[in-house]
Amino acid sequence: MEADELLELVAGGDQKAFEELYGLVSGPVFGLVRRVVRDPAQSEEVAQEVLLELWRSAARFDPRRGSALSWILTVAHRRAVDRVRSARAAGERERREARRAHQPAFDQVSEEVEAGLEREWVRRCLDRLTALQRQSVTLAYYDGYTYREVAERLRLPLGTVKTRMRDGLGRLRDCLGGAA
Amino acid sequence: MSRFAHSLAAPYALDALEGAERVRFERHLEGCARCAAEVRALSEDTVRLARSTATPAPPALRERVLSAVRTTAQEPAPARGPVPRRSAGHVRPRLLLVPFATVTAAAALVVAALFAVRAHQTQDELDTARDRAREIAHVLAAADARATRAADARGRGVAVVASVSRGRAVVTLSGYGEPPGDRVRQLWLMRPGAEPRSLGLFDGDTPLIASGLSRFATSLAVTVEPGGGSDRPTTEPVVQLALESVGFGE
Repeated sequence: MEADELLELVAGGDQKAFEELYGLVSGPVFGLVRRVVRDPAQSEEVAQEVLLELWRSAARFDPRRGSALSWILTVAHRRAVDRVRSARAAGERERREARRAHQPAFDQVSEEVEAGLEREWVRRCLDRLTALQRQSVTLAYYDGYTYREVAERLRLPLGTVKTRMRDGLGRLRDCLGGAA
Repeated sequence: MSRFAHSLAAPYALDALEGAERVRFERHLEGCARCAAEVRALSEDTVRLARSTATPAPPALRERVLSAVRTTAQEPAPARGPVPRRSAGHVRPRLLLVPFATVTAAAALVVAALFAVRAHQTQDELDTARDRAREIAHVLAAADARATRAADARGRGVAVVASVSRGRAVVTLSGYGEPPGDRVRQLWLMRPGAEPRSLGLFDGDTPLIASGLSRFATSLAVTVEPGGGSDRPTTEPVVQLALESVGFGE
């Protein structure tokens, strides 16, 4: 069964359907949260919150607004970004990053294990963006910076960053095209 | 404002707005179909970015989440217009759960339906009605009897008085009229990880007494079935009711 159908069953309290849904979406949810949050323990915490929220709020899913996976990943991304921003505000992230400098980076490890087709394809398409488009998109999406923070980091006017984001996503769409 | 807000679609799809700005833009989205369409399209792009990061989750996470699910209550569906279904031509009404403050209101409904006297009742029918009244009275008298009901925008709905200790529920439909042709309305018990179990067929608006309910029962559903009823539901439920608010499911 697909995530959309499963989510509808989950909304009716079906725990078996939830287990099946977990099998489908836990990898994408955990991978995304880990990419944004980075800290392994905190990533697990956030992923757990997100997956449990799926159970609790399955009835809120509105199929008119898009696919179930899209909704689930939107929720996961928002939770991850919220966590990163509050950690950053508390200055924790900088300290953790200092500590991590002495450990093998998570991304290298995971990329060796998970050389999925989708990952490879997206990476290639990201490479085709201009540097500013790519940085605008990835600083926001993968690192959880607001577009104001992105503008500061890239020393660009706000309007330019918004345009780079839109053009970057547009070019990404053209490149990804029919590759499902 | 509109033009300025419109330019925020990409930062919004990337979750790159600050809290207050995000809220403002979401308010703007409600009245801007073009922005909503753009956000939808951009969100499909960001989903590609998301999916490309998929990594197997730690096995311990699965255990924690699944065991938490067993003890976590779900939110009822928000009030919303009918959802178009891709597979079928009909729509399933999303229902708003309205817990009763006391048992009395639902009890009154049940009793009113029960004593709607029909002309030419035979002695057998009267006996059956009396037996049913006694059973209903027992459910209502249980110390843990609780009531709930669900109704749709047209006022059609289902009312339930249930007792976990007695494993029984009195279920009354209202406003649906007679099912078409020789079809019947059938009541089902929905349980996690199990097939729906038939709890019986409705006879008009006469309350149906469901018995043998385990405390793990999660919800009731009513479907329209061919005459005589079915072994398992063959249509989408016309109404569903969670039993959590009457003490089941835990």
